[in-house]
Amino acid sequence: MTRKHPRLAAGLHSAVQLATGLLLAAGLASAHAADPLKIGFGMSMTGPLAGNGKAALLAMEIWRDDVNAKGGLLGRKVEFVTYDDQTNPSTVPGIYNKLLDIDKVDIIMSGYGTNVIAPAIPIAMQRKMVLMSLFGTDVNAKFKYDGYFQIMPNGADPSLGLVNGFFEIAAAMKPKAQTVALVGADAEYPHAALEGARRSVKNHKMKIVYDKTYPPNTTDCAPIIRAIQATNPDVVFVASYPPDSACIVRAANEVGLKTKQFGGPMIGLGYAALKTQLGPLLNGMTSWELYVPEPTIKFPFIKEFLAKYQPRAATEKLDPLGFYLPPYAYAQMQIVGEAIQKVGSLDQGKIAKYIHANKFSTVVGDVSFAKNGEWAVGRPLYVQYRGIVGNDLEQWKQPGKAVVVWPASLKSGEHRYPYDQNRK
Amino acid sequence: MKARWFTPIVFTVTLLVVALALATVTNNYFYTAAYIVLQFIILATAWNILGGLTGYVNFGSAAFFSLGAYSSVVMFSLFKAPVPLAIPVSAAVAGLVGLGAGYLTLRLRGVFFAIATLAMSEVLYTFVVNWDYVGGARGAYIILQDDPPFGFSNHTQYLFTVMALMTAFAIAVARYVETSRLGRGLAAIRDDEVAAECSGVPTLRLKLISTTVSGALMGMSGSTFPYFMQYVEPTSSFSLSYSVNAIAMPLIGGMHSWAGPLIGAILLGTIQQIVQVTVSSAWNLLIVGVLLVVFVTLAPDGIMGWFDHWRARRRRS
Repeated sequence: MTRKHPRLAAGLHSAVQLATGLLLAAGLASAHAADPLKIGFGMSMTGPLAGNGKAALLAMEIWRDDVNAKGGLLGRKVEFVTYDDQTNPSTVPGIYNKLLDIDKVDIIMSGYGTNVIAPAIPIAMQRKMVLMSLFGTDVNAKFKYDGYFQIMPNGADPSLGLVNGFFEIAAAMKPKAQTVALVGADAEYPHAALEGARRSVKNHKMKIVYDKTYPPNTTDCAPIIRAIQATNPDVVFVASYPPDSACIVRAANEVGLKTKQFGGPMIGLGYAALKTQLGPLLNGMTSWELYVPEPTIKFPFIKEFLAKYQPRAATEKLDPLGFYLPPYAYAQMQIVGEAIQKVGSLDQGKIAKYIHANKFSTVVGDVSFAKNGEWAVGRPLYVQYRGIVGNDLEQWKQPGKAVVVWPASLKSGEHRYPYDQNRK
Repeated sequence: MKARWFTPIVFTVTLLVVALALATVTNNYFYTAAYIVLQFIILATAWNILGGLTGYVNFGSAAFFSLGAYSSVVMFSLFKAPVPLAIPVSAAVAGLVGLGAGYLTLRLRGVFFAIATLAMSEVLYTFVVNWDYVGGARGAYIILQDDPPFGFSNHTQYLFTVMALMTAFAIAVARYVETSRLGRGLAAIRDDEVAAECSGVPTLRLKLISTTVSGALMGMSGSTFPYFMQYVEPTSSFSLSYSVNAIAMPLIGGMHSWAGPLIGAILLGTIQQIVQVTVSSAWNLLIVGVLLVVFVTLAPDGIMGWFDHWRARRRRS
């Protein structure tokens, strides 16, 4: 037949080829669709930042479950490959090389904090991978990598953006604050905050009367507070990590610090553990927060997210409030997920371009990124703690306990000063 | 094996292994993990020169390691120094500090010397934290923008090769120290310092050589660390885990010969690398602790000591 009807034969041959091709393609496509989309990262499950690392991981897992419930990304189920970075930068190269070479992940995310983000950037650069990072302070200043993004809302100039609100509040007092005491731990984040504070003090034409650091393992902070009190500053700015945040707050109450404004970007005061531990000792302080349940804060879906997070956190004995890191850990996943879905592939260059070019609606509000990968417009909150009674956790879920006093657009109350008269 | 053949053989074997790895292994994870293990081999070997051969327990290994790392940071900041230039400078700086620290502390013995080295580590840590030129508490960045030299496909493979050669050098030095007159003098100090002094062993001079060589090798192991990480900050580079591992590895491998730290570091370093990505990082420290307890109670002279006892028993029977 084929000899007699060569055209028919050719047609049949083509049809068979096409059918085979389609079958193969269908088979490959179904195999491909069955392959999970792997997202890999290191996270602090042990070490000094383990508490936050575990809370962040839980938030990211909630996002993964939400996405998978809707059919995954690009029609593929999302799977996490995670390793414990021990909050130790020297583990990072091994972890990320393993993720990329052995585990063959499709997307990488960072661990929590500057120290573990910085060593991951060179690897991301070498492999041309997008790196969405979780709470690093100005890490990309030196690398200038266009595939780097960061979710902490301090703005394009992170060191200044972190602290500027605090000094704008001080400048708005009547009479305007003139003298400032700066104090912080000898560690990465407090140094970045202090650097920003010096710039902000200069911008606001105030005078620094005390500028010192202390070892991070300091357990008695009363001498620090006494030394600050001796300079009689109008404003006391503190940049600290959780253990010393508690130490400084206790010491300020013990010594009876007299100043107009006291607080700053003190890490830890956003955690339920310190909020309940310190309770009324926080009254009157002006502190940096990332989310508080005030009526002026209307992030879309944040309540739905917290409704999922809080019961699981309570079961897993993690931060039961989840106001500090978890919403942002969820938001960074939303951004990456949306970018992948919109780009329609895992092309890292296209994903980076998409994230740079678009605004994202997340559980922490609208987010768009500057050229350096930081938020284009910062939005840290400065709150004043008021009316805290006892050590009950539930009160922190009510409005009016952490009143937003900066920025003006989200203000839920006026800043009350001096600090020593509002402490009670 | 004759001493003069040892060094060429070590370097030849190292070069062959490196060449084989570069020819067959393409994934970077292997080179990253191997780099860390090699780094610990040098640290353990260096610690053993003072701790195992001389009998002076040094708890400040992390400080010497960091001195090497921060010397490289300074060299890079000043001159954009490449790795081959940073290594000798880092080793020299750490060796000089070793000499100075040795001069100041070698009148102390036993636990007092150990505490003094720990204190020195804290002093250096505080110094680095407050030295803004090397990044202070915020850490320093070494951004490698150029392609790696000598045709390597990436910096990790290049640094792995450099680290392997440094390991060969450290082993050759340790072997030389152990088998030379210097080594016999150090062994005399370890066994009984007063008796050694009475027998005419120049104890102070030998101990100073020991602290200098040990410090220089530790500094050398840290010299490539900033290039490997491209970021270095004091909290992790001065981490006690370097000091603990530098002690645990020779203890497990055996402290009385150059091979002990090598075996201990390969064993413990590899287990730690595997456990980190299979079970959990938290198990790392537990494993070090359990192995230490097991070896201190069952094989106090380490694997090499246990092997020597086994050979002696076989010969007797």
